[in-house]
Amino acid sequence: MSDGLSRRTFLKLAATAGAATAIPGCEPAARKIVPYVIPDENIIPGVPSYYATLCNECDAGCGVIAKIREGRVIKLEGNPNDPISQGAICARGQAALQGVYNPDRLGKPKRRLPDGTLREISWEDALKLLNDRLAAAAKAGKDRVAFIGASQGPTLDKIAVTWAQAYGSSRVAFWARINDEPARAAADACFGRRDLPVYRLNQAQAIVSFGADFLETWGSPVEQTRQFAEFRTPRDGTNGVTIGKAAYVSPRMGLTGAKSDLWVAANPGTEGDVAMAVLNIIASQGWLAKNAAVDAEAVKKFTAAFDPASVSQRSGVAVDQLNQLAAWLGQADGALALAGGDDPQAYIAAYLINALTGNVGRTMVFLEGAPAEATTRPEEVHAIIRAISSGAVDVVVAAGGANPVFTMPSEWGAAAAIKGAPFLVWMGEVPDETAAGAHLLLPTHHPLESWRDSAPRAGVYGLGQPVMQPVFASRPLHDVLISSAQNAAAGQTIAWENAQDAITSAWQDLQGKLAPSANATDFWNQALRTGGAFQEAAVTAVTLKGDVLNTPLAPRAESRSQFTLVGFPHIFFYDGRGANKPWLQEIPEPTNQIVWDGWVEVHPETAARLGLQTYESTYLYGGINVLEIATPSGRLELTANVTPLVKPGVLAAPIGQGHTAYGRYAKGRGVNLWEYLPAGSRAVPVTVRVLEKQYKIVTPLGKSDMMGRSIVEAMSVEELAAGRQPEIVREEEADTPKTAYEMYDPWKYPGHKWGMTVDVQACTGCSACVAACYAENNLPVGGKFEVDRGRIMSWIRIERFIPTAAEAAKAPNLYIAPIMCQQCDHAPCEPVCPVFASHHTPEGLNAQIYNRCVGTRFCENNCPYKVRRFNWFQAEWPEPLNLQLNPDVTVRGPGVMEKCTFCIQRITTAEIDARTANRQLVDGEIITACAQACPARAITFGDLNDPNSAIIKRRLENSARSHNQGRTYTMLPEFNALPQVTYLRSLYWEKA
Amino acid sequence: MAAAVESGITTESPTLIEVDRQAQFAFSPGGVKYWLWVLFCAGLTALGGAYWLHQIYYTFNITGYGQPTMWAVYITNFVFWVGIAHSGTLISAILYLFRVRWRTGIFRLAETMTVFAVATAGLFPLIHLGRVWNFYWLVPYPNERSLQPDFRSPLVWDLFAISTYLTISVMFLFTGMIPDIANAREKATGFRRILYSILSFGWQGTDRQWRNFSMVYLLLAAFATPLVLSVHSVVSWDFAMTQLPGWHSTIFAPYFVAGAIFSGCALVLTLAIPMRRLMKLENLITIWHLDCLSKIVLLTSVVMTYSYATESFMVWYTGDPIELATFHERYFGPQGYWFWLMIFCNCVVPLLLFIPTVRTTTIWLFIVSIFVNIGMWLERFVIISGSLSTNQDPSQWKFYMPFATEIAITIGSFGWFLMNFSLFAKFLPIVSTTELKDGIKYLRQAVREVYPYRRAA
Repeated sequence: MSDGLSRRTFLKLAATAGAATAIPGCEPAARKIVPYVIPDENIIPGVPSYYATLCNECDAGCGVIAKIREGRVIKLEGNPNDPISQGAICARGQAALQGVYNPDRLGKPKRRLPDGTLREISWEDALKLLNDRLAAAAKAGKDRVAFIGASQGPTLDKIAVTWAQAYGSSRVAFWARINDEPARAAADACFGRRDLPVYRLNQAQAIVSFGADFLETWGSPVEQTRQFAEFRTPRDGTNGVTIGKAAYVSPRMGLTGAKSDLWVAANPGTEGDVAMAVLNIIASQGWLAKNAAVDAEAVKKFTAAFDPASVSQRSGVAVDQLNQLAAWLGQADGALALAGGDDPQAYIAAYLINALTGNVGRTMVFLEGAPAEATTRPEEVHAIIRAISSGAVDVVVAAGGANPVFTMPSEWGAAAAIKGAPFLVWMGEVPDETAAGAHLLLPTHHPLESWRDSAPRAGVYGLGQPVMQPVFASRPLHDVLISSAQNAAAGQTIAWENAQDAITSAWQDLQGKLAPSANATDFWNQALRTGGAFQEAAVTAVTLKGDVLNTPLAPRAESRSQFTLVGFPHIFFYDGRGANKPWLQEIPEPTNQIVWDGWVEVHPETAARLGLQTYESTYLYGGINVLEIATPSGRLELTANVTPLVKPGVLAAPIGQGHTAYGRYAKGRGVNLWEYLPAGSRAVPVTVRVLEKQYKIVTPLGKSDMMGRSIVEAMSVEELAAGRQPEIVREEEADTPKTAYEMYDPWKYPGHKWGMTVDVQACTGCSACVAACYAENNLPVGGKFEVDRGRIMSWIRIERFIPTAAEAAKAPNLYIAPIMCQQCDHAPCEPVCPVFASHHTPEGLNAQIYNRCVGTRFCENNCPYKVRRFNWFQAEWPEPLNLQLNPDVTVRGPGVMEKCTFCIQRITTAEIDARTANRQLVDGEIITACAQACPARAITFGDLNDPNSAIIKRRLENSARSHNQGRTYTMLPEFNALPQVTYLRSLYWEKA
Repeated sequence: MAAAVESGITTESPTLIEVDRQAQFAFSPGGVKYWLWVLFCAGLTALGGAYWLHQIYYTFNITGYGQPTMWAVYITNFVFWVGIAHSGTLISAILYLFRVRWRTGIFRLAETMTVFAVATAGLFPLIHLGRVWNFYWLVPYPNERSLQPDFRSPLVWDLFAISTYLTISVMFLFTGMIPDIANAREKATGFRRILYSILSFGWQGTDRQWRNFSMVYLLLAAFATPLVLSVHSVVSWDFAMTQLPGWHSTIFAPYFVAGAIFSGCALVLTLAIPMRRLMKLENLITIWHLDCLSKIVLLTSVVMTYSYATESFMVWYTGDPIELATFHERYFGPQGYWFWLMIFCNCVVPLLLFIPTVRTTTIWLFIVSIFVNIGMWLERFVIISGSLSTNQDPSQWKFYMPFATEIAITIGSFGWFLMNFSLFAKFLPIVSTTELKDGIKYLRQAVREVYPYRRAA
């Protein structure tokens, strides 16, 4: 004890140390980890469970399978049972996860104080406030409550209607700015029925789309992409190998035009006229179907105002092209005309073409038992808005993501009307522009957290179940409505306790209709398991209404303006609802490759006319001049993106950006086009001025010119049929030595050898694979600044090149292909790594060991495909976005290199499962996230050592040995990297 | 004598004792201005260091780096400093073996520059690393996981080449200094006496010691000579071994070695010219020395011009469209100005050295050497960042511009180098009195016969 530490001192010290550890610091209290007393059978840590449910990102009604790990949803896949999605979903569907975990979701009910600030209140107070105001409104008279929401499926919509009735109101609007009203009106005019036709693109030989961007947002893109890919796959025709012929009539090319043979650049708004001119030619050429049972003269008379010459002048489409379109539609054995946009006349023309060429009932069918109309007709919605602005409504409930302030046409004055309502209640997830003026804000469940059903078409009944506990203190929208209705309904009874109850009872009714003899529990369980009830609906025979040809259509007036502004729905943001998902902002829009911003597409000729500074390519510019565009409803400023993919004189801008609220990811980017587009149209004549001001729009794309390199290859159908190789390959082969000296022994792959084949012809560039990769592999989102610095982290990217004028005759409209790590046999990245972080696995993968990587970045320098990504920045997932992270995949820290792994976590899981079960792996058991998401089924993944695998079959089918002579190629073969990813060339018809 | 030194006129025939005196004066304790200068350099070093720490903490987010320019300013600096390091060994080892007389005045300076340039260069691969704290994984060391570096990687070759070079350079420098330090030891007091006593390794100047010294020095020179060629060849293989257009070329090894000697000799000029003035060494580092050195600069400049032409010719001759496109962008692309500025600095400005007056006028020489330094830095920058910018996939083209971080660290590296060099110059013999005295007749002869016109100046 002479050392100075007495027993007393020791005890004192020990006590202090003990107290210091026992007293918690300033940190918030940690969450408790408590083991289950009785573990839940269905939750095994580390083992995912899967639930079938519905995607609610658009109205297509795709069924999805949610992958749940430890009680939270981490991935959505298409539901293979669902006849619409058939196992694939689009980028928007993938990004639904970022809707659930969006950090800007409203966490608690909030009430606006008189000074305009928001204060959190309890649910009880909020509901009391709501019910009091509703009761007061109901007391004041009939129809003094209005509901504006987006359609949420037949049962839930019924709840909304019932709720309104409980408060004595019939003012219920299911609003969507992009709606099917023109299609229904046209069906009514032509066939006397208001249901929507179902298209069978894969049964056609020729497809002409008059303004329907069916590969991007129109209709049911996932289903149409799949059918279109099938339609465009080479098959044996009467004269050898052939593919379907497609044309797209629109002022801007888009993906639909890019993947078609012909992009017919028509003036905005004249798509319907072009269709009528085509019908005119069909009639005068005598190509009407025999069974059409109409007189060619009547058709000629009907289309007399649309003679090719005058339409050609109005639309800017050459008469030759009109003839070509007519020949395709009139002469093909199975043709399909589609119409898009908001002009019912275009739909009428397209329906008539289909009917008169004998294709109704074949490529375009009406089914028996079509579901009721989901969205309310725009004029009825307009009437409700008028009522609100006239003060006839006391309480407005804006719910379910309709966001009327953002999407309604400005001439309706909806924003002012709704915000001026005496009491505006907003119910939703992320507070949007409508919420910005609301008096009461109620957080509601995300569709993935609540019950729902859907009826996208006859025979398809989707059932959506909640896949996880709610992330926030939100409540299901329709539970709120039901409880509110019960509160009001003195004297009347509400049939349901809550939304779940409503869904179950609706499905009991459905069982009575679909399978009356089945056991109710079995039917319900089966529906839950498979995601709904799916039946083949019978086709109804329809006949043209007699008077349709006697009601002449008026040609669309020629625009006198020099410039026209065209709004097109952004492939990811649609009508604006996708803009708050960081993945969708970060993934480049496929045709423009622009991220995190709005822009306006300007043809180089227009740019020259405006005196706008143009650049040879987009990879260097620091900024570009902003255009001031004067529309009848105000001036807007957008940055020009000079691109040949738009018609001269047309300014095309994406719809969906321009939010002033709606969360940190959406706010303050670009312009809300809806404000400037008139109701019932997506084009408006404008005047343009170039401002001095410059602004930088950001793209990860370097040059748009492929410079003749074999990155995305194409060959003509004629070459394919004749068994010739394209010219570029013949040149390459002459230069490539047949045998190469190998210093090292070739790799041996005793077990599996993973490979991939990508069909460039099928790929539409929809970027579903990119979004799927972000979700599966925990790819961080950098934001605009990081993308500008070249730090986009995507492992798979959609490469887009524009053929030069010299190439155009022998090229598709655009070169589009997904590019991911090619998993080379001679991987250039491997030998340059000083620490073996990049190495070769016995299964043929170029693995990257994050732990071992020191960050020399030599591997990326030596990679000819430039697919490796370096973590330049500290990745961030603002809470609760982090809950989406896939626990099977490491979140990479800064300073390490990463890249596509062929979803090695999926490979390993399947291998372990097979080993545990003491069996061989089955082909198709492992599927990468990109291949799984692909609606076009362009990507095939599999074992190259298995001679019976699907990938080997696909490769053999498309190698020189079969009738499809050699569509296979590998990217940049001159680098002799021997990639395990092979591509199948894109196809085009040789231009005469 | 003092008047002659101050007037800056080269005396016709310095005596042996004068050589000693002037050398002694050079590394006598520095004054206030000297320490202010050292402090200034230390400040620059601290600035660079602070930015490096900042970069480690905040990641590469604060740099201009991004896809596809994975390598840019840091590797440019690395190659630049390694290149600088080459002339030292060239002058001290190769010229020693060839018994070239004019090396005497400047070889020590060049060697010193070599050591500190390698020390500076060695920092840049570390600064460049994504996770610098794991840098030692590149070294083969015994560990329980039996992990070794991949000897196929040129970066591992680099590590060995640079560390070997640093070792040999340091040994060569310190071995050569022994007689000079022993000489200085005799008159030094205090700390300096202790320092010199240690570093002179008990040198007595006996015949046996001189014999052994000469043999060791010769052996080391013979040992260092191949390194002059090998080290920069290895550095060039960092690039040439890849498949990147603009890098993948067999010309790189000789091309880089020539460039290294070019830039190294230019930096010797840049350092020697102010130093001989400030440290009053005009009698020891004479116009004769500078003239001879500038002839090497001129020769290597012409070699570089030839290399650029050959490089371009080979690209044209292969007819490979990918290479052609890369070089087209290098010459005429949006960042083509770097290339043409480099050509101006490396190929045009040094042609002035054909004029004898330029070669014998220090201010002209200084200006030319600065241009060469800038040009050679740009050359590496153009090759590294330019080639990466215009890679195999046109969709991934993107040009690089440095941010404040890279610029500050680059400035810091100059501060670090100059600080070390300045400290060395005041504490250790920066000119070799031994060799100067040994070859004094050549010095006298050269000054008398070759540069008579300088006397009148």
